[in-house]
Amino acid sequence: MKTAQKRAPWILLAPFLLLFVFTFVLPIASAVGYSFTSVQRLGLFGEGGVTSGFAGFSNYAAALEDGGFIASIGRMLLFGVVQVPVMLILCVILALLLESASAKWPGAFRAAYFVPYGIPGVIATILWSFLYVPGISPITGLFDAMGIPVDFLSPSTVLWSIANIVTWTYTGYNMLIIIAQLKSIPGELYESARMDGAGPFKVAWSIQLPLIRPALVLTGVFSIIGTLQLFAEPQVLATVAPAIDSQYTPNLSAFTQAFTNGDYGVASAQAVIIALAAFVLSFTFLALTNRKR
Amino acid sequence: MEDITRRRALGLGLGGLATTALAACGAPGMQAGQIQPVLPPAEGPVSLTYWAWLKDLQNVCDIWNSQNPNIQVQAEFMEPGNDGGYAKQRAASDAGGGPDIGQIEFRSVPDFVLGGALANLAPYGARDLASRYDRTTWEQVNINEGIYAIPQDSGPMGWFYQTAPLEEIGAAPPVTWEEWEAVAREARNLSPDTYLEVFNVADASFFVSMAIQAGAQWFSTEGDEWVMNFTDEPTLRVAEFWDRMIDDDLVNTGYGAFSPGWYAAAGEQKILSVTTGSWGDALVQSTSGGAGNWKVAPMASWPDMGYGSSQLGGSTAAIFANSQHPREALEFVTWMTSTPEGIDAMIKNSGIGWSVSPDYIGETRQAPSEFFSGQNYNEEVFVSASQDQNLDWNWAPMTERIFLILSDGFRTKLTAGTSFVDSLAEAQRRTVDAFRNVGLSVRAGG
Repeated sequence: MKTAQKRAPWILLAPFLLLFVFTFVLPIASAVGYSFTSVQRLGLFGEGGVTSGFAGFSNYAAALEDGGFIASIGRMLLFGVVQVPVMLILCVILALLLESASAKWPGAFRAAYFVPYGIPGVIATILWSFLYVPGISPITGLFDAMGIPVDFLSPSTVLWSIANIVTWTYTGYNMLIIIAQLKSIPGELYESARMDGAGPFKVAWSIQLPLIRPALVLTGVFSIIGTLQLFAEPQVLATVAPAIDSQYTPNLSAFTQAFTNGDYGVASAQAVIIALAAFVLSFTFLALTNRKR
Repeated sequence: MEDITRRRALGLGLGGLATTALAACGAPGMQAGQIQPVLPPAEGPVSLTYWAWLKDLQNVCDIWNSQNPNIQVQAEFMEPGNDGGYAKQRAASDAGGGPDIGQIEFRSVPDFVLGGALANLAPYGARDLASRYDRTTWEQVNINEGIYAIPQDSGPMGWFYQTAPLEEIGAAPPVTWEEWEAVAREARNLSPDTYLEVFNVADASFFVSMAIQAGAQWFSTEGDEWVMNFTDEPTLRVAEFWDRMIDDDLVNTGYGAFSPGWYAAAGEQKILSVTTGSWGDALVQSTSGGAGNWKVAPMASWPDMGYGSSQLGGSTAAIFANSQHPREALEFVTWMTSTPEGIDAMIKNSGIGWSVSPDYIGETRQAPSEFFSGQNYNEEVFVSASQDQNLDWNWAPMTERIFLILSDGFRTKLTAGTSFVDSLAEAQRRTVDAFRNVGLSVRAGG
């Protein structure tokens, strides 16, 4: 009886553990393993044999010496510093407006703001590219007609054109998380605030904002991680924007390194560095937001 | 006691599974081009799969299938190589599966040879087929003393242009690049946003074709060592030429040929011409209001060096090392690529590029074209273009990588003003590093 009791949790856990080990632990372990591996080939095409050996930290050194990869991390930091606050402020405003007492058809608007999230990133980027490409875009056409030349795809603007697509896609999603938190605020709080004579702005500032703090921290962490993982949008936009190269974002860089260069060692090292960076940034953010409390 | 053994058994089982999973993965990209056994002819009927991005390829296979009950070929559509098709082929081949036949561009064949993914067809008598194919195309599948693919279609280059604006300028199709530059300057006078051609810094293919035409030879071998020479005399002259074209704002660098922006501009006669492979004919025909207003001329060339034409694109049908029936696959591929029946079927159904047969360009391509102002452009321009080629040019492994390195460098022409001449030297340095990183021996030449 006792042994059966000991066994039971393991049997019940087995489906989870198996999936966890094979889809999570092993891929990560093998990526870390590859990041310490290098390859040697004999002959012009490796026809004389291929051997692999322990590379020490040379793949990490190669990744960190690669100016394009470092530049991509810097680019994403800049992107995150601007895009994440803009998106969070926007989604908080939308959430507060939709949850205010005077909102008309909040359900319909909630759905409308959420729709972009349901559109796959690749499709969204193709749609937006038709608004960006000169000669096709009615927006550039309009500006041209007014004598103001704009180029959404130039080296200096294309990053913000991507930020626009990302903001468009995720604002509605983050807004929903915040609305969910707003809905959990007990009605008595509003009631007593009104009794104390608080107007809508006072309610928003002193009750709603402090109470949605956990949701804001959560969406903040998700957005920081999402920024570092940016991939589909620049990948698709690269076909119309010459300024986007094969190392534009850290993930694009690792992808290129692995699947077009066949250099799995350096690619794995880059992937590990990206994961570490996301880890460090998220925890710094959490530490900062918790300290203020 | 019973409990311990069971749990241990479970533990061992898990551990065992994990080890096999790890062993099966190995390090990716570790396959060696080991010596392949020569397989005997099949006994009885065989069924083959063919992964390609040619459209309606099954119709072509069906013609063969109805005449060859013992060799049945199934076509399966796959994304174009650089859009994911190659990754799919590689992954399937590394895992021990994949198709019998796969479409691979000429420039990527050595890359697949590097991974040991392709069957050497020489033991199956492929060398006897040499006379059925254009020499340019044959030399590119003749790799490291083996035949690793069969040419399928190619892209000899020509110059597609709009007749009306050229008449307005009062220019004949330019014969030399110097004349081409003069026409490009005239085109800029037509209106502030009119250009003769585009130059897409994001895709180095065009530039490499220009270097090939000028007589460049970037990749050579000495024993077991690769020698890179991206800065030979012909390449540097081509680089200086295009540096000047961009510095003087004579080409539009905003988008590539046949992109949505290009079509919009070409439809409004803001882009007047395009130097591209023969397959460009179908794409040019999609420009709005173009019918009867376009013609084709031989591409411009250098009077004192290189060749009359160059090549852009073109692909092969390669037989994978995992195929159990390479002999039968070779029979089908030979029929498809070198007999009038196969070539006509591929032109009609799949709209392939230039026929790789020196004897047959395809029935429909011998007639004048209404769209191209009644010109019989295939026979007039592309037959001789397909013969006037740089036979010394060969590709190397890692071309996808090399093209990315080149375009990353060329982009800085626009973002930081780096000249093509400078970025070629940097590209060569990065390519040498990349070769070394995958374990090949390599040095910079020149």
